Amino acid sequence: MRGSYVLRRLGVAGATIVAIVLFNFVLFRLMPGSPERILLRGIPNVSAERVEAIRDRWGLNDPVLPIVIDDAGVRFAADNQFFKYVTATAQGDFGLSFVARGQEVRDVLGQHLWPTLLLFGLGEVVAIILGLALGAYSGWRRGGPIDHIGNGVSLFLYATPYFLLGMMLLLVGAAIGLPTFGMLTAGASYPNIFARLGDLSAHLFLPLATVSLGLVGQYAIVMRSSIVETLSEDYVTTARAMGLRDGRILRAHALPNALLPTVSLIAINLGYVIAGAVTVEVVYNWPGLGTLTVEALGARDYPVLQGVFLLLSITVVLANLGADLVYGLLDPRVRT
Amino acid sequence: MRSSIRARLAAAAATVGLIFAGLTPSFAPVAAADPLVLRAGTDQDLQVLNPFNSILVVDFEVFTLNYDLLVNFGPDLEPAPGFAESWTVSDDGLTWTFKIREGMKWSDGTPATSEDARWSYQLALDADAASQASEDGYYLAAGYLEPYLLNAGVSAVSAPDPQTLVVETSFANQLILQAYFPILPKHVWSEYSMDDIAMYSETPFLNEPPVVGTGPYQAAEWKPGEFIRYVRNPNYWGPKGAADEVILLTFEDADTMVQALKTGQVDYVRGVQPAQFDALKTEKDIVAVEGISNGYSEIAFNTKGNTEGYGGSTSALTDPKFRSALGYAIDTAKLVETTLGGYGVPGDSVVPPFHTRWYDQPDNLRPFDIEEANRLLDEAGYARDGDGDRLDAEGNKIVLRVTWPDSEAEHETDAQLIQGWWEQLGIGVDAYVTEEGKLLEDLLPPVSDGPADFDIELWGWVGDPDPTSLLNVLRTEEIGNFSDSFWSNERYDELFLLQRAESDEAARKAQIKEMQQIAYDEAPYLIMYYDAELHAYRTDKFAGWKDQPTEGGTPLFGYGSGGYNVLTDATTATGIDSQLPLMLAGLGVALLIIVLALVVRRRRRPAATEEE
Repeated sequence: MRGSYVLRRLGVAGATIVAIVLFNFVLFRLMPGSPERILLRGIPNVSAERVEAIRDRWGLNDPVLPIVIDDAGVRFAADNQFFKYVTATAQGDFGLSFVARGQEVRDVLGQHLWPTLLLFGLGEVVAIILGLALGAYSGWRRGGPIDHIGNGVSLFLYATPYFLLGMMLLLVGAAIGLPTFGMLTAGASYPNIFARLGDLSAHLFLPLATVSLGLVGQYAIVMRSSIVETLSEDYVTTARAMGLRDGRILRAHALPNALLPTVSLIAINLGYVIAGAVTVEVVYNWPGLGTLTVEALGARDYPVLQGVFLLLSITVVLANLGADLVYGLLDPRVRT
Repeated sequence: MRSSIRARLAAAAATVGLIFAGLTPSFAPVAAADPLVLRAGTDQDLQVLNPFNSILVVDFEVFTLNYDLLVNFGPDLEPAPGFAESWTVSDDGLTWTFKIREGMKWSDGTPATSEDARWSYQLALDADAASQASEDGYYLAAGYLEPYLLNAGVSAVSAPDPQTLVVETSFANQLILQAYFPILPKHVWSEYSMDDIAMYSETPFLNEPPVVGTGPYQAAEWKPGEFIRYVRNPNYWGPKGAADEVILLTFEDADTMVQALKTGQVDYVRGVQPAQFDALKTEKDIVAVEGISNGYSEIAFNTKGNTEGYGGSTSALTDPKFRSALGYAIDTAKLVETTLGGYGVPGDSVVPPFHTRWYDQPDNLRPFDIEEANRLLDEAGYARDGDGDRLDAEGNKIVLRVTWPDSEAEHETDAQLIQGWWEQLGIGVDAYVTEEGKLLEDLLPPVSDGPADFDIELWGWVGDPDPTSLLNVLRTEEIGNFSDSFWSNERYDELFLLQRAESDEAARKAQIKEMQQIAYDEAPYLIMYYDAELHAYRTDKFAGWKDQPTEGGTPLFGYGSGGYNVLTDATTATGIDSQLPLMLAGLGVALLIIVLALVVRRRRRPAATEEE
């Protein structure tokens, strides 16, 4: 039944997210270096009194877990960091950033989220169009010149790490006068919305090219092999024998079947794309989640890192959930 | 009207090509009368605009653009008019009278008078009073600024009339003329409590833009992690620099930063890597400048070793002969070559050569000589056991832990080299990196309730135009504060107080020379090297770049904002229209794809024509 399939998928996704939230809590408390020292970074002459005040303010003096075992025996501590963390996270409150004084983590994340969405969303779209088109054509005309060239180029792009690709494009882009860093020209004022969009797209060109080229290779290759495999199926030979046009066969019969592995790939890829986000964004100074992660790592801004970790893990889980549901749509066999 | 697969795929590709072509801007982003903007890139990120939180170089650079110092730093770091236009000192050297410039205005138009200076300086005095009163001390945020006044012995400050500021000091000295302490607008800042300003309270004063100051440029826009933009202060009393706006940009990646300089998107960069620096020297319209750093990187010993309460691993660390012998097994030239790529100066004295008036190369310099090091260790009584390992006075094998903070990753290279050298002496080395926060904790001595749990740490210090702050870190009084070596020498402490108050330059030089010799001989620190400051700038947009100090300095990120005020406009034409290459690129891509699509379509008709 379609319904139970969906419910099962949702259940698994939900459980995974809960596990991630719990793991998140443990992970960041295992980090070396006490958080209060980090809050007071670089300041050599800090009084013990001030350290205590910081610990109190950030709730670091509360017991970590609900069960406390000490000299007085075993007891339940209602006021503990774990409960506070879980209730806060459930309400979407990720705390305050260590580095960006006074700013809530969710605000910091929000500011950095949409540049990443823009870059990678558009990059995925372009990569999907180009990759699937190239892969389908290569698979359909296997052995032809486009196939050989396409395969070679795809492999090269697939193998090249994002940052290397980024640096190569940076050199090319710099040579032809494209802006090479940032999302907008720093401090520029725009007479109208079109000028602003124009500046944004000029800055978007190189990072977008890097992301799409980085992704196109794998989509093309997978699509190609999946088409090749589909074409060897009996029903395609039958369709051809029946006199159906090439285009119709490809579109109505081969493609939908060949799309299945590619959909999985796109979903799985999201996790790697996020890793790639860091390197591409750093190369181009693109103010997205990748740059935020690098800065937060360097500054040991644990609340922000916790928020980023949570956000990205949940995104991957949801993407996989989406892939499962789309799979269900595409392939009737999976729904039962 | 059948379109083959080929054609359709080609059409899809053409669509993508047009998406890219469409991304080329068809409208120029800025209007015809553009303000002249100076863009400078750095790898450091600004944290907060409250100057009391300043720790990094970029923090200081940021506040000296906004605010004047009472006395500025001139082209060779000599005292120059700032908020005060002139000054005199009483005969006993204890009372300074500053004449505040008439007609000065804050950037928001309010008149700037001696009352603002008095209020600002009083903040430091109040913080000091709170510090004395509390058990553990009280500091304004990071606590790096008020020492400039307290070390100068400032005890009272008053403003008898709007053009006069009187500062009383408890001992005669010249340090008041080199105080890196901003003059803040009382009418803006007095709304906040001292706790807010010190960033202790729940509502810290963040000093967000637009900032009000008397400096040449005022912060107008700040995107954390990206850039901070300044606009010219229309009420500035000093010379007008050519730039109407100044933007300081943060770069995560040094390559991107240098590329941006090469393409003219940035006019100045600080923090070029040695390899890039070599390449920049031959670039047209770019000047690569190697500045001497006002600081050093050192091997710091835990000179209390395993004494009661301290966490050192051996008593050998307490022995100056041991430490000095180890100094013979450090090849500082090799360190400069390997770690710094050749850009730096081998270290010796605790006063860097940057201080041309005060630096003295110590006598009896230790050359790199493993044999001599071994001989000295034998002489000092550190015998070797059967395995060739040195034993300390208690008969334990000497294995030294060498660590460094993760914020200074280059020290890993230093540690590896040190390990190789000291192994030849029979001394084991355990080298590892420590997270910065944890290391700061480990360095705390028992008097601060800390474990002092380290043997050797590799870190660095950056100084001020006056060498006092660098000399200070080795004082007995600084144990529990800035001293991470816990070294104590009576004569050194005595000389410190003498040189601080000495007004005769020759006498002061002699005192500082003696201090340098003592520190060199007893070796609580082994100075590895003096880093170089690698900067680069373009000459086709701005001219008049002046190094500060003239010998071995850099135009910007020095001391004070003078470097910005002497720049002149060097642009001759309106510059290349950067829109053209862009549009051509976009059109080219689109054309290419369309041609490809047409060629593909035309070359071969689909073999099987399906119409039956």
